[in-house]
Amino acid sequence: MPVFKAYFKVLRAALPGIVSYMAIFLALSVVFTFAAPSSAGGQFTQSKIAMAVINRDGESPVATGLTDYLASTNKLVDLPDNPDQLQDALFFRRVEYVVIIPAGFEAGFLADDDVALERVAVPGSTSSHYVDHQVDKYLNTLRLHRQHGRTANWDELLSAVQKDLAKETPVQLQTASGTAETPGFIYYFGYLAYTLLAVVMLGISTIMLAFNKPDVQQRTACSPLSTRRVNLQLAVGHTLFAVTAWAILMAFAFIMYGKEMITSGGLGWVTLNSLAFTIVCASIGLLVGNLVRDHNTQSAAVNVLTLGMSFISGVFVPQSVLSPAVLSFAKFLPSYWYVRTHEAIHELVLSPLTNTMQIAGPLLIQLGFAAAIFAVTLLLSKERRVSMS
Amino acid sequence: MFWHLFAYRLKCLLRNRGLIFWTLLFPLFMATLFHFAFGNLMTTGTFQPIKVAVVDNVAYRRDIGLQQMLSAISEPGDGQLLDLTITDPEQAAELLEERTVAGTILVSEQGVALEVKRSGLNQSVLKAVLDDYVQTASTVSQILQQNPNAAPELMAALQQRIHYTVEKNLSDAEPNIMLIMFYALIANTCLFGSSWGLKNSTDTQANLSDQGLRRSAAPTHKLRIILSDTLAALVITYSEVLILLGYLGLVLGVQLGNELGYILMIALLGSLTGVAWGTMFGTLFRQSEAVKGGIITVVNLTFSFFSGMMFADIKYIVDQAAPWFSYINPTALISDAFYSLYIFDSHERFFLNAGLLGVTAVVLSVVSYLGLRSERYASL
Repeated sequence: MPVFKAYFKVLRAALPGIVSYMAIFLALSVVFTFAAPSSAGGQFTQSKIAMAVINRDGESPVATGLTDYLASTNKLVDLPDNPDQLQDALFFRRVEYVVIIPAGFEAGFLADDDVALERVAVPGSTSSHYVDHQVDKYLNTLRLHRQHGRTANWDELLSAVQKDLAKETPVQLQTASGTAETPGFIYYFGYLAYTLLAVVMLGISTIMLAFNKPDVQQRTACSPLSTRRVNLQLAVGHTLFAVTAWAILMAFAFIMYGKEMITSGGLGWVTLNSLAFTIVCASIGLLVGNLVRDHNTQSAAVNVLTLGMSFISGVFVPQSVLSPAVLSFAKFLPSYWYVRTHEAIHELVLSPLTNTMQIAGPLLIQLGFAAAIFAVTLLLSKERRVSMS
Repeated sequence: MFWHLFAYRLKCLLRNRGLIFWTLLFPLFMATLFHFAFGNLMTTGTFQPIKVAVVDNVAYRRDIGLQQMLSAISEPGDGQLLDLTITDPEQAAELLEERTVAGTILVSEQGVALEVKRSGLNQSVLKAVLDDYVQTASTVSQILQQNPNAAPELMAALQQRIHYTVEKNLSDAEPNIMLIMFYALIANTCLFGSSWGLKNSTDTQANLSDQGLRRSAAPTHKLRIILSDTLAALVITYSEVLILLGYLGLVLGVQLGNELGYILMIALLGSLTGVAWGTMFGTLFRQSEAVKGGIITVVNLTFSFFSGMMFADIKYIVDQAAPWFSYINPTALISDAFYSLYIFDSHERFFLNAGLLGVTAVVLSVVSYLGLRSERYASL
């Protein structure tokens, strides 16, 4: 098995690249898994908006009461009264809403003047409507009690308001029999497309680049080994390599999310989907390995294809935020169908009643792509052999 | 003589198709991908009235107050919060199951209740609206207990709900976090100039390349060679950055701010830093060009990562947690300069960035000049 043995010697050249792609992917998966917020299961949790209150009206009861109320319903972030820092925090969404209580607000409020708080938020966003509603609710309730009630002092007034605002509507959270929140392995297998594509493509194209060098190819051609045997050994090498890369990534998925994967009922499908995509990646790797002539072009091709396919098909950002024009172009890429399959699996995990045809369809399309790319590659390499001899 | 050297160095560098690809075409390609991927995220979505189903039953029809409140806030217009569908229980359940509506409002003997499929912002707004209804009822009962005579005025007062907030903008710039990724890409392209600097340093040193050997043997003054080489690399890098800026601003419509002079200035400082950094690295170490190129790429990408090229939030996190790192990270300085031009009205922060970047460029240039100057060969 001389070709098969040489295969793994050549592969060593691509090893640093392959290992770094895998290591970065796994490191990021670990970070994001631990950084992900844990969700309260089964209970409705009211959204809390990250916001800041800038009080320029001193320690007035109105300002204090309002701040306390907003602190109980939202997540208050302490920010200094400095336009640049507020701007910074808003830009990076550290806070989504800033309310400024201007000097003299309380005096105006008590005199029933036309007073207003200043609000800095993303105009027209849902969160800005949400907090606006809370601010208005608090101040209107306070106004009604003050104008029409008979409360003796500030303490009584504020506690009357507090008592009103503590009233809540019962909320029933209906969950289907599936999981309510997206489990971690769904994210893992979503981004896996990029890593698989990069790793498998890099490895296989490196091998093909070496074996397709004219000198090497001519020497193999005059060896006693038949072309069929050479190609067979190469094919076994490619299969072994691609399956190993896939198995390593699967093993890490098991280590991190094993239990979830089994209980959610998604295990079988994500296994099939990633394996199908591995075949696609291998076919692209072969094609690239047959087209490029040197390492510089190879790394350009690998980078352009992996990044391009991942961005446009919805690996990095969800397909739902891509424009229709981009998506209709992406349909010509196999990675688009990997993501489609994956999204259908995601649906299935969330509600088990999902039709499995939605998963099987795009899965088969991926295999169709692989077959077509293999055919093109075989045709190209045949043509080259003919032209060389 | 100088211009002769410069012109031939320029020609020589431009023939390097591999480097042209990585330093010019690749950034343009990434800009295009960013545009396709984040283009729809760039336009901040305007608030859409929240779709909600109301189960039409006897209890609901009897609750005139709730009906009035709901219809008041679902009136088409500026203040519209909800989009109501009043329907029978089966269809309401179906709409909720399909997630066409965010929630279902169900009135019964026990009062008003909300049914949802998930805990989200829209669901929270729905709850806040219904809470408002029960809270107002509580206010009325508390007040009437204390002051039964207030009833007529109170009912009139309930009708007028005062809005207590007014919109205020800190600047005209629309906050859009996706811009950070584009700014980091520009910064990264500036630093790609290091590839040209590295190429220069390899080609001037006798122990690193045959060209270096030949050029060291020539009677041309070393400083003249270094200056003409560096100028050629700078011209190429700066042109590449300008092409990228033109593509971003004019073709993709990325907002870069309006102050062209400052933009050109920071792009030039960034390009100079990139070239000087590559030259210095190439001068100080003796490894092969491929190894040094690999290390430079990894360092550049790490810098870019911390300035938000892959994940925009990281820039803010670093700025808060370890501001000193942003001051020594040239990519962060360049992208922050673009950011502060775009968002702030004052130029303080821009000049801080530009100044630090200038210092970085000078230090790198001086170190590489000292390194190159001190090279003496016993024999060639």
